[in-house]
Amino acid sequence: MHLPVSLLSLCFLTLASLSAASQAAQDRATTFFTSNAQHSPSGSGHTNNWAVLVCTSRYWFNYRHMANALGMYRTVKRLGIPDSNIILMLSDDAACNTRNKFPGCVFASAGGKAGKDSSSLDLYGDNIEVDYRGYEVTVENFLRVLTGRVPPSLPRSKRLLTNDRSNIFIYMTGHGGNEFLKFQDDEEISAFDIADAFEQMWQKKRYNEILFMIDTCQANTMYSKFYSPNILATGSSELDEKSYSFENDNDLGIAVIDSFTHYVLQFMENINKTSQ
Amino acid sequence: MHAIRQRIRNVLRGNGDRNATRLQRRRALGTLIWSRLPELRLLLLLVGFAWILLIPSPLLGQSTFIDENALHPGQVNTYWNWGDVHQADLYLAQLEQLRDQNATSKQIAAHVSEEFRKLGIPSATQDYVYQTSQESYNGTNAYAVFSSPRGSGAEATLISAPWLSHTEDALNLRGVATVLALAAFLKGYSLWAKDFIFVISSGQLDGMQAFITTYYGEEPSNLIAEPLTLPSGVIWVALNIDYPGHSFSHLGIFFEGINGRLPNQDLHNSVQLISRHTGGVPVVLYDHLDPRDQPWREAELSIIPSWVPASLKKMSFVQEYAYRAKNLVRHVGYQARGKASGVHGLLHRFRIDAITLYAVPATGPHGFHAIGRIMESSLRTINNLLERLHASFFFYLLVNATTFLKIGFFLPAAIILSVAMMFSGLYEWINAAWYKTVVPRSEEKTETTELTWVERPRPVLDALLVIGATHTAGVGLFYFITLPAVVVNHRIISPVLFIISLLLPLAALPLFKQTSPGASPLWQVLKAFNLCLASTVVSVTCVLNFSLACTTAATLSIPLIFSSPSTSLPLKVVKYAFYMLLGFGWMVFATEEVRSAIWHWELMGIWFAPFICIVYTPLVLQAALVSILPL
Repeated sequence: MHLPVSLLSLCFLTLASLSAASQAAQDRATTFFTSNAQHSPSGSGHTNNWAVLVCTSRYWFNYRHMANALGMYRTVKRLGIPDSNIILMLSDDAACNTRNKFPGCVFASAGGKAGKDSSSLDLYGDNIEVDYRGYEVTVENFLRVLTGRVPPSLPRSKRLLTNDRSNIFIYMTGHGGNEFLKFQDDEEISAFDIADAFEQMWQKKRYNEILFMIDTCQANTMYSKFYSPNILATGSSELDEKSYSFENDNDLGIAVIDSFTHYVLQFMENINKTSQ
Repeated sequence: MHAIRQRIRNVLRGNGDRNATRLQRRRALGTLIWSRLPELRLLLLLVGFAWILLIPSPLLGQSTFIDENALHPGQVNTYWNWGDVHQADLYLAQLEQLRDQNATSKQIAAHVSEEFRKLGIPSATQDYVYQTSQESYNGTNAYAVFSSPRGSGAEATLISAPWLSHTEDALNLRGVATVLALAAFLKGYSLWAKDFIFVISSGQLDGMQAFITTYYGEEPSNLIAEPLTLPSGVIWVALNIDYPGHSFSHLGIFFEGINGRLPNQDLHNSVQLISRHTGGVPVVLYDHLDPRDQPWREAELSIIPSWVPASLKKMSFVQEYAYRAKNLVRHVGYQARGKASGVHGLLHRFRIDAITLYAVPATGPHGFHAIGRIMESSLRTINNLLERLHASFFFYLLVNATTFLKIGFFLPAAIILSVAMMFSGLYEWINAAWYKTVVPRSEEKTETTELTWVERPRPVLDALLVIGATHTAGVGLFYFITLPAVVVNHRIISPVLFIISLLLPLAALPLFKQTSPGASPLWQVLKAFNLCLASTVVSVTCVLNFSLACTTAATLSIPLIFSSPSTSLPLKVVKYAFYMLLGFGWMVFATEEVRSAIWHWELMGIWFAPFICIVYTPLVLQAALVSILPL
């Protein structure tokens, strides 16, 4: 008779610890935001926002990675970051791929132009500015953009001109694994590389806070090596977990968006410039 | 912990010096193998043959799967509709008219080319004349090149339909109509990354052979073909449609290429998946319908002999085994003879992955609508490719449409037989030189005589000369039987040739006099070389053309291993007759096969005919010589 009791107490304890854990996570986030609210009552002490959005895969069957990055681009732009403050890196041109049934369009949900689902938005649209395209998306260029070690001939639109009052949103998507991210079937960037780049940025006072978001397989391992302050990181999967796509478009014949990014975008759709 | 490990090691290895024990173990193993070699040989033969019989069993095999991630088969909506079916019907009516008028190949090609041009697709015809020793083939191919609307045209996909179906006496009218209607349909979309080349080839195999050799710039000596005027890119994948009947119930896949080459398995896997899910058409291999799906046709579909008791026939294991065995026998029939099972097989040697989609004739339910949908979806999948198919297997045995064997599961069958032959060869080699004899001791101990091993020289050069002579004779034989005059008159010449082949070795017998009195007998060294050579041939051919190697191993292993001379004349005659029949019997008992093999060699360069003459027959001839040489 005492067995169910101990079982019950075990469940209770687990629940308590779980809720305690989620409470702990919430506390950490709150502390992050409040501790940086020294100078301004709104929360953070920043004066400008920047975004670095990177899609590291090319080829037609990685359409969803380009849709991920473009979805984030559109959201970030809608919420007020101007093109001059966004660095968009796309490894391949999905919109003008010869296999694209809807030329010039990139969709993040199934249905496309012909679909009944009217929320199927063309992310490529009329007004996008891709800063690094095709083979320019390399590990070297990415790290140079972050750290600011660029040749003097590089145009302003390709530079990350942040200062110590900048909050930066860094979003990366592609194929990755345990502490690495693959760039275009050619090279890899490791978690240590990004961690070191962020430290350089901190030393050179190139950011106030960073929001690092990553959507790949085993994504969370990519931010496991950060050692600089004021970085909030989130990813789509833990170590040994895969990240899955969300849905396929049956006219394009491939997956159009990844699950993590889809839900983030869905959440962001309900947020506008005046949301708290 | 370390002490425990040490104790275990001592038990297993012994306490002595590790190197010494290793050498002793090696020597003991060698002695064991040597002393038990006849048993080992028997065991290897049994295992080899048992493995061959095991290949069709349901115990082996795994499901097919898509290995190339870029393919995404069956994930697109198809838009081939009844309007396109109507278009195909209109084309079919025109083709039937041509058939009723007994139109020549040139007229058909001109008509087809005109239809392509009406669609706005550049098209041309190609005349060709093929000279073989038996007859000359002439015809005209029609081809059209639809350039990719937005792509660079560096790659192309080939869609073909030969005029003659592989089924006897059937025209592939609906196949040609499908290709025409497909061209009209595909033109309406701009999402094609590769060019399309539509080929309506004349005849059965000759037309496509003329086309593809000209496309890739080869100039075979027996072909006179018009150069192609419409350029396009490198062909990666090709699909061939063979639709002879009115309607079809299943889609049969033919995939063997010439000289035993197979296309990448992903092409078969994709088409099979698309046919099942998008087309709604069940898939079979070749035209082998499963008797379990159509029990009322069991008598004609099943290969289980009628004398097998019903209780055994009903077992699912037996039925599955029979179905798989039927597929494998058909496969070996194509692959061992190096024959292409369709027009697609001519393309493999240009690194084109190609299969034939065969609409198995039936009274229903599928027709143009199903085949059009399947083709559209397959072409969308092929369109997704960024590089040639390379991920899936190139060496496999398909036992049914969704099950296959990886190379590790069927290759050992032939290799084990080859090892048995090799061991026998080495056994004979050693036994030729080493023999136990009584050696009289020195004068002090005259009563104690013991058997000791004595070595004698081997007539290596003589044996090599014999082998060289047999293979040279094989070359001569091949040259002779491919002479046009001989091919035409083969009915008269074959029996004469057979008699001459029987008598020639007997006439040459006096040449094989004993070389030197103390040397080992010639027959033993010859047998050793014969077996080692046969083993090498099987092992090497295994990875080029598994069916040929396996058939050779299965046919030759027992006769070659157990060849031996004898003292009694009747036994000698019987043995000699057996080997000569095995090696040369094809001349008189398989004249159709010979004729077909020579035709394939001349038209397509298939190695089966030279292999039989230059490799197989000399090997058996060597064994025949072993049986008549003096002991």
